[in-house]
Amino acid sequence: MALIEMNNIKKDYFLGETVVHALQGIDLKIDKGEFVGIWGPSGSGKTTLLNLIGAIDEPSSGNLSIGGKDIRSLSDNRRSELRNETIGYIFQGFNLVPVLSALENVMLPLQIKGVSMKEAKTKSMSRLEEVGLGEFIRHRPSKMSGGQQQRVAIARALVNDPSLVIADEPTANLDSETARMIIGIMRDLNEKDKITFIFSTHDQRLLNRVKRLVRLEDGRIVNGGIKQ
Amino acid sequence: MNKWIKLAFRNILRNRRRSLVTLMAIGVGFSAISLFRGYVDHTYYGLRESAVRGEGLGHLIIYKAGWHEKGKSDPEKYMFSKQEVETTTKLIMEENDVILATPQIQVTGMVSNGTVSTIFIAQGVVPKDDRTIKGAWNSFRPINGAGLNEKKVFGVEAAQDLAKYLNFVPGKDGVVLANTMSGQMNALDIEVAGVFDSGSDATNDKYMRVTFDFAQSLIDTQMAERIVVLLDDWTKTEKFRDVLLVKLSRAGINCEIKTWNEMSLFYSKVRGMFDMIFMFLFSIVLVIVVMSTVNTMGMAVLERTREIGTLRALGLKRRGVSYLFAMEGGLLGVIGSLVGVILHVGAWALIRWLSPTYIPPGVSTPVPLIVNLVPEVLFILTVFLILLSLMAAIIPARRAAKQNVVAALGHV
Repeated sequence: MALIEMNNIKKDYFLGETVVHALQGIDLKIDKGEFVGIWGPSGSGKTTLLNLIGAIDEPSSGNLSIGGKDIRSLSDNRRSELRNETIGYIFQGFNLVPVLSALENVMLPLQIKGVSMKEAKTKSMSRLEEVGLGEFIRHRPSKMSGGQQQRVAIARALVNDPSLVIADEPTANLDSETARMIIGIMRDLNEKDKITFIFSTHDQRLLNRVKRLVRLEDGRIVNGGIKQ
Repeated sequence: MNKWIKLAFRNILRNRRRSLVTLMAIGVGFSAISLFRGYVDHTYYGLRESAVRGEGLGHLIIYKAGWHEKGKSDPEKYMFSKQEVETTTKLIMEENDVILATPQIQVTGMVSNGTVSTIFIAQGVVPKDDRTIKGAWNSFRPINGAGLNEKKVFGVEAAQDLAKYLNFVPGKDGVVLANTMSGQMNALDIEVAGVFDSGSDATNDKYMRVTFDFAQSLIDTQMAERIVVLLDDWTKTEKFRDVLLVKLSRAGINCEIKTWNEMSLFYSKVRGMFDMIFMFLFSIVLVIVVMSTVNTMGMAVLERTREIGTLRALGLKRRGVSYLFAMEGGLLGVIGSLVGVILHVGAWALIRWLSPTYIPPGVSTPVPLIVNLVPEVLFILTVFLILLSLMAAIIPARRAAKQNVVAALGHV
């Protein structure tokens, strides 16, 4: 069974009286353990597609299932639980909570889940060490570089042991060296833990390392072939 | 639980100036209400003591049924006979919570120093019982002179303005004239045994206190107008009215019982006025607290829209977002109330240290400005303001929770 299955997915936005057809009939299957890049020009629907896969948005029509669960049939609460337990997010702007330390930021998904403080701390420390930030646990985001913040975001995305990590332009705000390091971390985690990564990017360095590339244009998949 | 409180606390500290303004609004509002309540509390205490002890009303005043309606026109019919006074007093004194029950009689007439005359209203009291009723009040408004004494039946106490008008000083003689029960004029010699301050401009020029026996002689009767009951605790007043009504009625004594606050019009009027001012002040503070909290939380929701989107994306449910913002509102209430308690205690200590005095309207002498420290008021107000802040935060919190995740994440 595919981890993600999309059949004839359409997504429309209403801007006043104008209807924007962001996605126009997407058919896509992604299996567990894939490392998938989604690319295309601005406005092609990359972020919209990621939002749907990440269960933070609903399609206007079509069928979407994540881990065999039909997203449209889930209540808002059940969808929140699904996001918390199954999906990790890495945002372009890192989206860390500024009043929390690196460790507390990483602990957030576990605390939302209701995991004990002790367990959450241990697990979060381990994830932070995994991304090379074991010595920065008490630092607040404002005291960290962009690369360090993105690594905290990666640790946060992974702390719940998700089967799927979604990253929206994860290297867009990073310098070359940091971007390379972030790509390396994601690729290692994919190889080692078989975590599925789906990300949108314009970054050629990242595109060069994907296993599968999905190209979008005007809300349609024009190329969904596998790249080694 | 702890982690969310920690997060809420840190969020409050994000915009320190805005939070400080809100906390000061809550704190100052809290202290304004609590200080006024503390002042009112002491004022009620003072007025109660003034009525119960100063005016000598005791806690309960027992009249024969019908006295207030027809007693003036046919007093003999509506007064207690000597036998009735003894029976009633005995029945009342059987109760453990009663300190004393004593007969009183009120007389009015003319008082003269031989040259000048004026009207008077005198309370005929049993001196020993009157001293018990007055208690510590005598040290607050001491009597100039020896005061009433059972052995000197014709000794009287005159209010200070009346004494001044008639040039009465302790030891000086005078004459009082009054109608007897049968309508005859009666005159008796008096000796001024003391001069006192009634506490009110309205009564200082006409009040006198005479012994109960003297009052009976003056109006030529063996009867008593009322029986005053002093309890060991004023809070038992209402309960004891009911108890005594039943008991005396069973004993065949047809009576009506008034409480001290029913008899003291001044107390009722002042209380009515203060209660209204309190409600007015309370409403203003309520509006300020709600507006400040709604504004602070509304701004917080606006500024943290993207963060709300992130938390939702990480799996926090709508209820969780509401809970977080409501908790921040509640925390503002907790800290604001704490600020209020500190301001209250500070102002209370300052007032105690400065000991200012003032002359309230209608009062003859300066009284100290005292603000009571009432822990129950501080506690109730704290709980109320925390709940109020929490409720005020619910509107913005619900708005935060209802946001679309994608729109929230895209918020700039």
